[in-house]
Order: sequence, then C-alpha cells, then structure tokens
Amino acid sequence: MNLIPDVEVHRPKSLEEALKHMEAPGAKPLAGGTDLIIDLREGACEARNLVDLTKVKELDYIREFGGRIRIGAMTHHTDLVASDLIRTKAQVLSEAANLVGSIQIRNLGTVGGNICNASPGADTATPLLALGAEATISSSGGVRVIPLGEFFAGPKRTSLNPGELLTELSFPTPPAGSGGAFQKLGRRKGCTLSLINIAAYVELDGDTCSEVRVAVGACAPTPVRITDVEEMLKGKKIDEAVIGEVSSACYGLVQPSQRAHSRASEEYRREMSCVLMRRALTTALERARGNK
Amino acid sequence: MKVSFQLNGKDIEVEAPGNRALLDLLRDDLGVKSVKKGCENGECGACTVLLDGAPVTSCLVLAPQVEGRAVTTIDGLVDDPFMVKLRQAFLEDGAIQCGFCTPGVLISSYALLKGNPKPTADEVKKAIEGNLCRCTGYVAIIKAILHASERI
Ligand SMILES: Cc1cc2nc3c(=O)[nH]c(=O)nc-3n(C[C@H](O)[C@H](O)[C@H](O)COP(=O)(O)OP(=O)(O)OC[C@H]3O[C@@H](n4cnc5c(N)ncnc54)[C@H](O)[C@@H]3O)c2cc1C
Ligand code: FES
Ligand code: FES
Repeated sequence: MNLIPDVEVHRPKSLEEALKHMEAPGAKPLAGGTDLIIDLREGACEARNLVDLTKVKELDYIREFGGRIRIGAMTHHTDLVASDLIRTKAQVLSEAANLVGSIQIRNLGTVGGNICNASPGADTATPLLALGAEATISSSGGVRVIPLGEFFAGPKRTSLNPGELLTELSFPTPPAGSGGAFQKLGRRKGCTLSLINIAAYVELDGDTCSEVRVAVGACAPTPVRITDVEEMLKGKKIDEAVIGEVSSACYGLVQPSQRAHSRASEEYRREMSCVLMRRALTTALERARGNK
Repeated sequence: MKVSFQLNGKDIEVEAPGNRALLDLLRDDLGVKSVKKGCENGECGACTVLLDGAPVTSCLVLAPQVEGRAVTTIDGLVDDPFMVKLRQAFLEDGAIQCGFCTPGVLISSYALLKGNPKPTADEVKKAIEGNLCRCTGYVAIIKAILHASERI
C-alpha cells in the first residue's frame, strides 16, 4: 500500500486565517480529502503544505438572497441532498449530488472540492453549469467572481491563482416555469464515476422555450455547455419531438477522449450523449410544465 | 501534532503526524482493530466509522481533521439497542461469512436505521452502496437489515 507522504496540516478556524495560510508557497487546500488524499497516496500531488478547511464553518452554507441561491464551497454533498431549497428550486443539482460516490463519500466530499478537483466527469459541475452558476474566488488580496465555465482550465486544472480559494458557487434562483434534470451513466448503478453525464435546464413561456442551458461531463477535457443544442431550442416551441431531433445532434457535438484506455470508447460516449440528452431534456420539460 | 477528539464517548488526546490517516490512527496507535483496512481508496467501506454521527471512510480522513469531533466504531455501540438488533439479525440471517466487511456494514446500517428506522429495500441498498462484501452476495445482508428494522 502506498503511504501518504509527510505533510504539514494547518487548521485555520476562519476564512481570513485560511487565506493567510494560502499565501505560503505550495499551500494546498484540503476539503473533504476524498480526491486529495488518494492523490497524495498515489504520488499525484506534490503539495506538502495542506490548509485544512474542515473548521472554516463560514464556507459551509446553503442560502438564498439577492435573487440567487448561494452555496459555500465547504458544503457537503449530503447537505445538498438534504436541502429543501435545492430539492425544490434546483432539483438537477440535488439529483447529481445524490449520485456522487456512496454515502460515506457524500458525507466527506464537498461541492467545492468536486469543482476544484476539476475532473471532466465531476458530477456537480454539469448541473451548476446548466443553472448558470458563477464561482466566487477569494484571496487575501480580494474577491473575484467568474462564470463557472471559465473556472475549468483542463482535466484536473482550474483557473485559480496561487493563494486563491473557491469560496462560493451561486446561480439565479430558478423561476416558476423552469425545470432541470440530471442523467448519469456509469459502469454500474451505485458508487460509480460518470462515463458521461448530462444536465439540462429549461424555462418555459407557454410552449416556448424561453431559456435553456445544457451541459455534458466526461465528454471533453472539462465539463462544458453545449451551446449548439441550446441555440437549436432557445426561443422556439419545445416538445418531445423537437427534443428527439435536437438530442441526436449531440453525436457530433461532444468531444469524448479518444484514448484507448479511457473508461469507455469514444463511439459509445457519442451514442450515449444523444440518449442522455433526450432523457434529461424530456424530464426537464416535464418538470417545467409542472412548475407553475 | 496534537489531536484531541472523542473516541467512542471518551475524550482522548493523541500525538499524530499530519500524514496519519484516521484508519491507521485507530488501528495502529489506538488498537481499534474492528476498523478494517481494505482498499485505502474509499471504495470498499471496510474502514467505515461514524464521524459526528455520519458514516465516513476513515482511510480518507487525516487524523488532524478529527480535532474536536466524535469518532464512533462498533466498539462504542456494543450495548446500543439498534446495534444489538442489527447484530442479532446478521447472525440469524447468515449475513456474516468471513466477517471482514461486517464492522463497516454494521456502521452503515446503524446510521441508516438511526435516521430512518423503517427503510425500504431500495433505501437499504443505497445505504450500503459504499460497502463491498466478497462473500454473501448482499442478499442476506439486506434481509438482515430489514429484519432488524422490523424489530425496532
Ligand atoms: C469511492 C469514491 C467515489 C467517488 N465518486 C464520485 C462520483 O460519483 N462523482 C464525482 O463527481 N466524484 C466522485 N468522487 C470524487 C470526490 O469524492 C469528489 O470530487 C468530491 O466532491 C471531492 O471533494 P472533497 O471535499 O473531498 O475534495 P478534496 O479531496 O479535499 O479536494 C479536491 C481538490 O480540490 C482542491 N480544493 C478543495 N476545496 C477547495 C477550495 N475551496 N478552494 C480551492 N481549492 C479547493 C484541493 O486542493 C484538491 O486539489 C469519488 C471519490 C471516491 C473516493
Ligand atoms: S479501506 Fe477505506 S474504503 Fe476501503
Ligand atoms: S462477509 Fe466476507 S466480505 Fe462480507
């Protein structure tokens, strides 16, 4: 068994203190540790100076204000699943969080860690992209807010600068007439990583799709929106037949890895992107119709 | 570094380097051998303990992270009525073969019944998703958890 290398662990009690520790060269945040501790064991993480965020309670919240739903980076998947606010207003995120790993992993793992780990198949990334989320990033120097799409820089790479922490993910509170849905395909049903996942969000004005965002995971170097699909739907009449047509376009729009040793073949991911897109959009539409 | 926490209801303070996993702290430093080491990857659940009442894989927690928190293993639940019922049902239903997965499965089932004393079979399956068993094929385990729940 691989050993965890020698590391120093700082245990700040406030965000301010955490940001101070983040100024040290090579400082690395430790949230739930479900990705980081494995990386340390496998020698995939060089950092030896960890800033444990466990005690930074001010980053652990789910609240709504200013017309936005705001989620602190240290919110655990379990808390997303348990939140009535998320379940009723942002079901697409609740569904995705409920499919992350096992209960043990959801109790440890955080949404901030899921996003910052920047795996192309991170399960909360696609719903957050579909909800139009922004990332709030803090350092001792100040705070900046960027669209979540700009946060991802490549597989396991983010646009965070040294010294910065992701502190919040937020998105506009979905209005009446909106609906979202998450679809995930893994090797098995439980405790499995996504071979591909898709999140869809639609807003209805009568029969017209007034707003739509769809995102795909594990089909490109980062989780991404498929704006071509969005353009085919936005401002048009939407029904099951339209969804069927639009979804088959995914085949040529996604860019799955062509590596032979990846978890599923390129061909299979292309095919399944069409299927999952159809299911996600169909359920999102049903929910939007029911959400008066 | 010094780490103070509650282990099975008792306040303790230990000296643990930053790279000590909670799993190793429990087994090697504190002699709690009921917590098993399987994959060290968060996948098998043999190392499951309760952290502030919630099941977690102790191989993915660094010792310093449990500062000020409560860690519970099956050793701390010996006389707990829920655990007594679970143990009984596991024995009666043949839900234990080699027993390596059992402490972890018991912790996960205990956490389930504490929050949801009358779970459906699907809820039971979801609750033990993170616990692998190489012997029983799970059928007996699921049956035992449902039996225990009927007796609560
Ligand atoms: C058995 C198992 C099953 C899993 N199943 C799934 C699954 O189904 N779906 C899925 O998406 N993931 C899965 N994962 C991966 C993992 O659990 C999630 O990505 C989890 O959300 C990571 O969060 P964490 O808090 O544990 O992050 P950590 O491991 O603590 O951190 C991950 C990375 O993010 C950085 N980081 C954390 N917080 C911040 C912050 N606030 N600001 C800046 N950087 C930060 C860390 O430095 C590190 O690089 C699984 C993992 C395991 C072990
Ligand atoms: S040893 Fe911890 S989950 Fe396998
Ligand atoms: S009884 Fe042997 S692993 Fe479960």
